[in-house]
Amino acid sequence: MISRRALELATAVLTGSFGVAVVVSSLDNGIGWSSAGVDAGTFPFLTGIILLLGSLYNLVRGILPATTLANVPIAITPIELRRLAGLFVPAAMFVAAIPLLGMYVASSLYVFAVLAIPKHQSVPRALAMAAATALALYVVFERMFQVSLPHGALASTFGF
Amino acid sequence: MDNLGELLHGFSIAVTLPHLALMVIGVLLGILVGVLPGLGAPNGVSLLLPLTFGMQPVSAIILLSSMYWGALFGGSVTSILFNIPGEPSSVATTFDGYPMARDGRPTTALATAFGSAAFGALIGVILITFLASWVAQVALAFGPAEYFAVYFLAFASFVGMGGAAPIKTVVTLAIGFAIAAIGIDTVSGSVRLTMGIDELVKGVNFVVAVMGLFGIGELLVAVEEEFHARAVSSKIEWREVFRAIGRLPRHGVALLRSAAIGCWMGITPGGPTAASFMSYGIARRFSRRGRYFGTGEVEGIISPETADHAAGTSALLPMLSLGIPGSATAAVMMGGLMIWGLNPGPMLFVDQKDFVWGLIASMYVGNIVAVALVLLTVPVFAALMRIPFVIIAPLIVIICVVGAYSVSNSYLDVVMMLGFGIVGYLFKKLFYPLAPLVLAIVIGDKAEDAFRQSMLMSKGSLGIFFANKLVTCLIVAGIALLLLPLVLQLQRLWRKPASAATETTAQETAREKVII
Repeated sequence: MISRRALELATAVLTGSFGVAVVVSSLDNGIGWSSAGVDAGTFPFLTGIILLLGSLYNLVRGILPATTLANVPIAITPIELRRLAGLFVPAAMFVAAIPLLGMYVASSLYVFAVLAIPKHQSVPRALAMAAATALALYVVFERMFQVSLPHGALASTFGF
Repeated sequence: MDNLGELLHGFSIAVTLPHLALMVIGVLLGILVGVLPGLGAPNGVSLLLPLTFGMQPVSAIILLSSMYWGALFGGSVTSILFNIPGEPSSVATTFDGYPMARDGRPTTALATAFGSAAFGALIGVILITFLASWVAQVALAFGPAEYFAVYFLAFASFVGMGGAAPIKTVVTLAIGFAIAAIGIDTVSGSVRLTMGIDELVKGVNFVVAVMGLFGIGELLVAVEEEFHARAVSSKIEWREVFRAIGRLPRHGVALLRSAAIGCWMGITPGGPTAASFMSYGIARRFSRRGRYFGTGEVEGIISPETADHAAGTSALLPMLSLGIPGSATAAVMMGGLMIWGLNPGPMLFVDQKDFVWGLIASMYVGNIVAVALVLLTVPVFAALMRIPFVIIAPLIVIICVVGAYSVSNSYLDVVMMLGFGIVGYLFKKLFYPLAPLVLAIVIGDKAEDAFRQSMLMSKGSLGIFFANKLVTCLIVAGIALLLLPLVLQLQRLWRKPASAATETTAQETAREKVII
């Protein structure tokens, strides 16, 4: 279970650290006024500062025992968390597998896995859908729109 | 009547067989993304975007805008038949649309919704026809300072009128600006904010961000709740369709008022979602039958639908004539314009007459096509809702992954897209508004350039933003909008010091409901 407050805090920390990164990184480009006009780092520097201040405000609002957050104390229930993981973890594994397996193999494995393993579909039907996915991708992208999708390290070792 | 002549020329471009076919495809795809929860107009349009790179700009924009109309209509179908809004902007349609459909009048509800939506869209297009070229003409005289002032006003109106918590809006805007700054700086040529990752020199493409934020993010929000698609009958009785549309003129006041609200919210970047809620709220307050709202009132369907479509359509006006999109979807389309090599803004009306008037004419035709198609296909798309979410979800993930990759054949984009998905989920969950983020990513660069050019002109003095009446007015209006939330907050504290806390709570909860 994740409380609304924890989620607010985590998000504020996330946005705030992006702000810090922006501020630090823009200092390399110079901030202020030079012979060429406003320096390249100035605008990002200012947005970074605003981002940081805004995140701090959200952070403080999250920490304070504010009445506003009391309405919805729980942001994500355990069941919801499980459903989220059920969608996101396979998706992340699919993306991680692309450099090795290539888009076609990875996407058909992904479709097969999410349909067959939790037994949403029978194995033959999941297989058929996986094959159809790869085929549709190939026809639409490689053939119709001439966009080459990554074939993967595995395919290149076999000489594709 | 120059505009009418141009418009007729536009019709000769829009009403050709290939373009009509594109409209049909676009509308059907649009209804599809509108019907499917987890996909909406902004990500539908961005998913289609990589496929338009090889097309003529006119054909591409006709395809994308038709998809937008389709998505706006499709969202209402599921709102009425399933009580599941397919689009955020059709949430308000569920309030009276679903009760009416459940009471055994689904045809009446659908026909009323489509009829008033078409009316709203028509008013929006008429507004564009007569106003857009005039606005563009005024804008042709703009210098960098005026441009910056207009951008500033657009950003400030998100903070002041967007409906979300103001500081959260400021945070998302700042993130958008920072993302827009990543890569090579257009003025000095130096590399910025790559944080040591060489591949970021090319910058972060907004398509990647939009796919993650809206595609994956919305999917994660949608997967939390299990959908129970308990549909009411989706059979269409044709006689009742015409009868319901025939009854619409009786609600002329509601129609006109909602269209006006919609157009206003579309031109100022309030967006269709805010427009439909506002229109519903105002209708409930002013209608004689206001207390029956929520039980299947006709005006409870008319008001949000008309405003939704009027806002969706008129959001294209500032995009075309000023280069400032009025909604998230318009921002995505504007990004497309830039990819096709067009420069959104007043020069379009001089250099690209065929494009502009072809698009405007296609709005008239496209909306007619959309009404006809959505009525014909209601049963088909209603059946589609019965496909389990577990099958649709991985397909959407694959579409987003492939789409992000195909923007510039980069694996890093895919990883970033997934990261944006998490951010999109968090932001949706915590009511950070996404539209300002997308807007800032798309036009952040231009706003910065305008600022730096005006600074060059004035040799570093901010006085240039108060140099003439126009620019002063814009800047002052912007500052006023920025301060508006603060003033309201102080006023509330001033009036009722004791009960202030509880009141803010109630208002904030109401506001959070609105921006979901």
